[in-house]
Amino acid sequence: MILDQVIFLITAVVVLTAAILVVSVPKMIHAALWLILALAGIAVLFVLLQAPFFAVVQVIVYIGAIAVLVIFAVMLTRKAMQDDGPQLNRYSVLAAAVSLMLFAVLTGMLLSWDGANNLPVNPAVNPDTIVNLGESLTNPQGFLLPFEVASILLLAALVGAIYIGREHRAGKEEE
Amino acid sequence: MTISWLYIGIFLVVSLGLPAVAIILAGILAPKKPSPEKSIIYECGVDTHGETWVQFKAQYYLIGLVFLIFDIETVFLYPWAVAFDRLGLFAVLEGLLFIGILTGGLVYAWKKGAFEWA
Amino acid sequence: MSLSDLLILLPQAFLLVWASLLLLVDLFISKERKVITAILGAAGLAITLGLTSGQWGSRATGFNQMVVVDNFSVFLSGLFTLAGLVAIVIAYDNMRRTGIHKTEFYSLLLFSVAGMMLMSAAADLIIVFLALELLSIPLYILAGLAVPRAGSAEGAIKYFLLGAFASGFVLYGTALIFGATQGTSLAGIMASIQSGTAELPLLVIGAALLLVGFSFKVAAVPFHMWTPDVYQGAPSPVTGFMSIGAKAAGFAALIRVFSLAFPSLAGQFAPIFAVLAGLTMVVGNVAAVSQVSIKRMLAYSSIAHAGYILMALVPLADPSVAANSTASALTYLVVYGITTLGAWAVISAVENADGGDTSVRDLSGLARQHPWLAAAMTFFMLSFTGIPPLAGFWGKFYLFRTAIEGGYTTLAIIGLLSSLVSAWYYLRVIVMMYFRESEAGASRAPSIQIAAILLALAVLVLGLFPSGLFQLALQALANGVS
Repeated sequence: MILDQVIFLITAVVVLTAAILVVSVPKMIHAALWLILALAGIAVLFVLLQAPFFAVVQVIVYIGAIAVLVIFAVMLTRKAMQDDGPQLNRYSVLAAAVSLMLFAVLTGMLLSWDGANNLPVNPAVNPDTIVNLGESLTNPQGFLLPFEVASILLLAALVGAIYIGREHRAGKEEE
Repeated sequence: MTISWLYIGIFLVVSLGLPAVAIILAGILAPKKPSPEKSIIYECGVDTHGETWVQFKAQYYLIGLVFLIFDIETVFLYPWAVAFDRLGLFAVLEGLLFIGILTGGLVYAWKKGAFEWA
Repeated sequence: MSLSDLLILLPQAFLLVWASLLLLVDLFISKERKVITAILGAAGLAITLGLTSGQWGSRATGFNQMVVVDNFSVFLSGLFTLAGLVAIVIAYDNMRRTGIHKTEFYSLLLFSVAGMMLMSAAADLIIVFLALELLSIPLYILAGLAVPRAGSAEGAIKYFLLGAFASGFVLYGTALIFGATQGTSLAGIMASIQSGTAELPLLVIGAALLLVGFSFKVAAVPFHMWTPDVYQGAPSPVTGFMSIGAKAAGFAALIRVFSLAFPSLAGQFAPIFAVLAGLTMVVGNVAAVSQVSIKRMLAYSSIAHAGYILMALVPLADPSVAANSTASALTYLVVYGITTLGAWAVISAVENADGGDTSVRDLSGLARQHPWLAAAMTFFMLSFTGIPPLAGFWGKFYLFRTAIEGGYTTLAIIGLLSSLVSAWYYLRVIVMMYFRESEAGASRAPSIQIAAILLALAVLVLGLFPSGLFQLALQALANGVS
């Protein structure tokens, strides 16, 4: 338990620092790299929460694909390595106030929940969550329908990505 | 459970630590005799011109997007593959249907020339 | 895999398979014969319409209560497939004329219709979310169909960003509701509320987030900002389809979720719905008055009509009015759908070949050049205004009546006054067509003309015999949503 807590504290510090750096460093490409560190830290948090599937998703999708896309997007811009002027605009105080308010509301909501005050001690850990997930994804009484619809959804998104992307590239030579 | 993840953690620390130690040690041990000649970008032949941070082609992004879609497909197939031993024939077929639908997307992408580097 | 589960979703599954195959088949159809793709797309919708109407009168749940097929879902599925059919007819001519005949249109349209049909049958918040995405993602792309054109690109990116934002709200709301009730099925949520095990504050916040997300989809004030730009930028046939499809699907979700899962919250949400409805009616109608572009004008008009329909969701807490008011919402959706599709068909015909913006002035003198189109447009504008004996009048009549029966007379008066305002800009279109001299060119393609005339006839017939549609809407609620 102590080991878990130590790992959690270290990870939390790393994630928060990285997250603050994402929004505060002036160069976009650096922000993208700090983002990767923050996402990796979240993956560790998922592991600590006994949610191995989400840890894997975090690494595969967020670090593997989203972060790569973000870096691509930054590289597509003309000013990847230039400072982009001041980091704050005149609404920064207002934004900070709103964010703090949201934080307070969410925290208050969580604290009002019974589960937050009497945490289960040594909860039963299911070692087979991923196997169970795999079984329920293909079970008609489980999540078969969302599973297949998600596939169609990805197909539609793929068509869209190619349609919009290809169009942008061709423009003139298109039939 | 946590123990098995600890191995990954140890690997992570070691893999980050080795290069870090190597770089830091080199920085401490190496003799320092700076000269302007040494600060030039290393290049065989002619000296480089202009910025090294060039703008990428939009094509990269399209490839990236297609990659993202198939990456998310992996997320769905991962638990399916882990549970493969325990699944019946129908469940396996359902997974194949999932793959089949996205193969259609691959055919579309291919035919539309999304992978051509033009 | 039980076969009965699949049979319940046969129309949706068929349409999805057909759309996927169409996407691939189209790759191998030569460029001169793309009409085949259009015909195949329409055939798919027609078969789906047949399959889905065969389910009328039955009620079944499938996939462990994730979907429910009842008259409500069949009624709306019919509306969605018909809207898709009309959109294909309008689009074929318009897209070829404006040089954007991209055959992805047909499969994407079919995907979107399938998503809407799934939405109308959703009995689980997971399915609601997936259906929302399945209907929205193709629409984002369709809005950008003319993408080298700046307006289309702007509309598509705005629609995409705000739509993604709205989906985020829906997802967050779903998560909170799951946290509060430990379930995502609508029936389970209701059971959890009734047994008192639900965490109420969490549940109410979750429901409110869902409301925000759906309000984006139906373009209710203050979540309407995207509408004018998207309607203006997207190709006209797409806008016509979007204006009814996305709206009806959003209302399908609102009605299902708020009358099935949270009937006990209806009382608390009534004032929120009332404010939303009032604001939407007033802002939509007032903003439409000053529009130069007819596309923007119809966008604001669509916002206003969303407001009228929202009015029907206010008195849900009163069981004696609930059925009538929901039925009047369904009736209005059909009436609005026919009218808006017709209006956008006329705009698709009038639109310049460069596909740019169309102003109200561009319609001037249309009556001389194209008397049939002008006559049809007159019907649509009068129906939008709510002038008897056209369908629009009866749609509004039922809505206002149930609002008054539910005790919301003020709301009905706001609706009535704002419809008076709307007469100003709808009648301006008629004045332009009949009393201004100018050369208004328009497409002479028979398909689009016939579509416009048939829709105008439908507006007239539904106006002359209004009770049939209302009775059908009542039946649609009889074996599921009560």
